[in-house]
Amino acid sequence: MDFSSQKQHFLEDSGVVFYFNGPVSQSVVEGVGDAIRTKLRHEEVGLGAIQRVFTILIEQMQNIIRYSADRVLSDERGAETAWGQIIVGQDDEGGYYISCGNRIHASQTQKLAHKIEQVQQMPPEELKQYYKRMRKQGPDADSKGAGLGFIEMARKARAPLAFSIEPLDEMCSFFSMKVKA
Amino acid sequence: MDQFVVEATKSTPRINLNPATHTHEIAGESYPENSLSFYGPVFSWLKQYLADAQGKAIKFSMDILYFNSSSSKVFMELFELLDTAASSGASIAVDWRYHEENEVALECGEDFMEEVESLSFNLVSYS
Repeated sequence: MDFSSQKQHFLEDSGVVFYFNGPVSQSVVEGVGDAIRTKLRHEEVGLGAIQRVFTILIEQMQNIIRYSADRVLSDERGAETAWGQIIVGQDDEGGYYISCGNRIHASQTQKLAHKIEQVQQMPPEELKQYYKRMRKQGPDADSKGAGLGFIEMARKARAPLAFSIEPLDEMCSFFSMKVKA
Repeated sequence: MDQFVVEATKSTPRINLNPATHTHEIAGESYPENSLSFYGPVFSWLKQYLADAQGKAIKFSMDILYFNSSSSKVFMELFELLDTAASSGASIAVDWRYHEENEVALECGEDFMEEVESLSFNLVSYS
């Protein structure tokens, strides 16, 4: 990127509060989480809204660590690092959105899409019951977390989870999702 | 049994399990990269401790500012473990502490409260 296109980006992305594209590890999660919390506190955003933004942000970043196809070898303490993109911004409605993007293996796309579609249109009470049921039941075999992340995001979001999966080549697709907090 | 103490980090809570006073505390943030491995030692400790819990008045204090979904799963397992011990005769009270403005923490506490039967689960607000 040259300087003029960099300036262009800076001016155009006026709603963007935070942008990151690079290796995500647990210490990045902690640092970015802190930065966003501090920023929102300064803007005197209510505690409830801060919690919703923070929740969605942490779930998205930890998903990158767990599922991004672009992985860096884990360090000597077993901490994992994987490539991904995070955007936090403010939309016209004055609310915040949190977006993430990363490459995933083509073999994961169907299951991933199904997981998100399942919760996209669920009303709040149903989401709550589904969350509680899945929390007791435990995750499926290929989940590296508790299998609750998308349900949790859907519960905190003010609009249905939006996502896209675009094939890049035979091996990989680009996954991106945007959640309104 | 020895006291179990782990200091807080940015993404993990302070844990203090005291077998002498039977008061136990988990306080802070909880969003470790791997919740199962972080809380593993807590479960090992508790299983041993609860094996000999009959007739004791056990108090748990949980004050969690934020927890991720994988910690939520682990907390559910923790409360199930305590609930089972309570149903077989131990006296166990859990105080779920939350800041009065932290609605999310309150809702999470209510969600957990609905899941337990035998232990006494209290929602305690502070300012």
